[in-house]
Amino acid sequence: MRAIRFANEAMSKKSPKKKVRTRARATPRPVSPAKHAPRRPTRRSARDQEPEAEPESVDESELGIGSRMVPPEADYQEPSGPGSDHPPGAADEGDVEAQIRALEARLDGLMQGAGKSLRDDPVPRQTTPVVPPEQRASDDAAGDALRELMASDYYVKQWGRLGMRNRSEEVDEFGLDPSYEARLLPLLDFLYRRYFRVETIGLEHVPSEGRCLVVANHSGVLPLDGMMLRTAVRLEHPARRELRWLAEDFIYYLPFVGAAMNRVGAVRACQENAERLLEKGSLVAVFPEGVKGIGKLYRERYKLQRFGRGGFIRLALRTQTPVLPCAIIGAEEANPMLHRIEAFSKLLGVPYLPITPTFPALGPLGLVPAPTKWRIELGEPLHFEGYGPEAAEDHVLVGRLAERVRAGIQRLVDAGVARRQSVWLG
Amino acid sequence: MRVSPAPLAVAVTGACSFLGKNLIGLLEEDERVGRIVTLDVERPSTAGRKTRVYDVDLTQPSAEERASEIFEAERVSTLVHLAFLASPTHATAWAHEFESVGTMHVLNACRRAHVDKLVLWSQTLLYGAHPTNPNFLSERHPLRARREDPFFADKIEAENEALRFGRPGKGRTVTVLRTAPILGPTVSNYVTQYLSRRVVTTILGFDPLMQFVHEADAVAAFKLAVVHDVPGVFNIVADGVLPLSTVVKLAGRIAVPLPRPLANPLVSALWMAHLSEAPPALLDYLQYLCVADGRLAGDVLGFSPVYTTREAVIDYASAQHLRDVKLLAENPA
Repeated sequence: MRAIRFANEAMSKKSPKKKVRTRARATPRPVSPAKHAPRRPTRRSARDQEPEAEPESVDESELGIGSRMVPPEADYQEPSGPGSDHPPGAADEGDVEAQIRALEARLDGLMQGAGKSLRDDPVPRQTTPVVPPEQRASDDAAGDALRELMASDYYVKQWGRLGMRNRSEEVDEFGLDPSYEARLLPLLDFLYRRYFRVETIGLEHVPSEGRCLVVANHSGVLPLDGMMLRTAVRLEHPARRELRWLAEDFIYYLPFVGAAMNRVGAVRACQENAERLLEKGSLVAVFPEGVKGIGKLYRERYKLQRFGRGGFIRLALRTQTPVLPCAIIGAEEANPMLHRIEAFSKLLGVPYLPITPTFPALGPLGLVPAPTKWRIELGEPLHFEGYGPEAAEDHVLVGRLAERVRAGIQRLVDAGVARRQSVWLG
Repeated sequence: MRVSPAPLAVAVTGACSFLGKNLIGLLEEDERVGRIVTLDVERPSTAGRKTRVYDVDLTQPSAEERASEIFEAERVSTLVHLAFLASPTHATAWAHEFESVGTMHVLNACRRAHVDKLVLWSQTLLYGAHPTNPNFLSERHPLRARREDPFFADKIEAENEALRFGRPGKGRTVTVLRTAPILGPTVSNYVTQYLSRRVVTTILGFDPLMQFVHEADAVAAFKLAVVHDVPGVFNIVADGVLPLSTVVKLAGRIAVPLPRPLANPLVSALWMAHLSEAPPALLDYLQYLCVADGRLAGDVLGFSPVYTTREAVIDYASAQHLRDVKLLAENPA
């Protein structure tokens, strides 16, 4: 660890100098406006990590990078600070000036490079030419403003602040960003309560804690069902549980979609991810129909497709997780697909190109789902614990159980569709 | 896990690399290690009382002969093979001789001198960045990095060579440590070079989760593998992940998102003009996920990282800020 230690030593060497510096500069001295005139007393004070010795030569654009991590200071002043507002050399300013001096001196002492000996040079080394006060005042106001605008440092700081404001410094291990999601919550709540007027039945079957696998029918050109299921559990379940849903691979090939879905809680569907989530005791939703489910045509609606290779059953058996069948009704009419074109799928990175009454006729706007009435119905949990984890290798059993779950969900769906009077009003 | 009783004689190849230098510093202070033998073309700055320095160039055909003589003379029991490049190079032919053929030389020397324990440095990079990767790659996952790029191909070959060396039944202990990209205040590699630029390239529309390991943790893992006999392959990673955009923001850089079809020719051109730190093959890692699961190292090797990914980034960034304003003159290793 030598190299690391060297770095630490280099840092600690600076401490004696700090004292010298502070003493040298903190002594009250008559305030000469010319001395601090070219320096911007405002932004400089505690933020900028710059050696005082060369105020003009240091590239401003190099500074202020770390400032984001410093909490905003209380004594921040507007860019047109004391230097221009007050007549230079005013007596009442003396105290404030001296304080700012002392603070700057302390900071400079901290930040001063190791190579410079301060003992030899107790006099401040600002060798700016002395300008007559009245000339300086006007120059300074304009100069300050101009410099403020020109300094890339300023923009970088703003950029950094804006950039970090909308994101958390930490995401969970599957990429869910709480503050990113928080910005989307109003939209999701609106979709859930007002747009689709989702009615959720059977949430009491979702355990308040411990792992559970929700298995649902899949639909929609835009896979909104996972997001609505998550919203339902968040808004209406007494324990406000967090549901993660497994999304198809192809969204991770797409620009923007993959990253955005990942930040709001989608996880790529694969055995490793699902197993890790369930081991942590999460509530996980899967759509075993997969891409075939999203690709259902309007006339195939509510006819459940093949349930993959029964991966979700193997998962449930291996991790000893109860399975909760779930029917989502209404979602399959939100984007009625009349035809799908698979010719350009390789080129576009999507499994198919949908043709709906509005897409691509209305462009991207045509993808807006129709305001159908949704109904999410959760059935009784199915327990497969009796089979033991080794049953996951029994292909016949896995196939049989998968078919049983599929038939159960199909029954839930059929019952829900039969009970429904209108697609729009439920 | 068993602690070796007699003082160890440890040979280190690539002793002047970041890992080599710091590992030697740690082993110098460990009483379980009796002798350190370094094989490199230079003298490592941390070489102390216990260290014997040998000038061996692994790219020379005579390296095998010479290394085995050294191993025999010093009665080396453990070899730490760190002679790999931390950053891509334009000298691909030389890199191949150094990494792939060099590993062959060293392993043959071990066979001749009956060195039965090998600790090899590998990287999680070799899993490759793919949209079909699970969020956490386990050690069983195949190495799917782009083989057409020699930077990956040589390392994969070297690792396979080492695993063949440690095939069961030979009584050899081979520990392969796959580290995540190493970040920290003093290390230098293509990641630190990438993040040291004022403006960094990212891929438009993609924001993969990144994972790093702090330099102190990485070195500590190697020391663990040297003083304990734990055969196997382990991912050495920090806890936690961060989206690339957050990493760039934490480092105080400006991200310039480029569409991938545009980024490829641009980065190739920059790479050919020696203006980029990495060839376009590494753009995959800015687009897709390559995050490894470090639980096995925790359970079996007893490795627990001190720094999270976020702390590693911040630790690197604070040192880099001082370098940026020339307050820290010292160049990274």
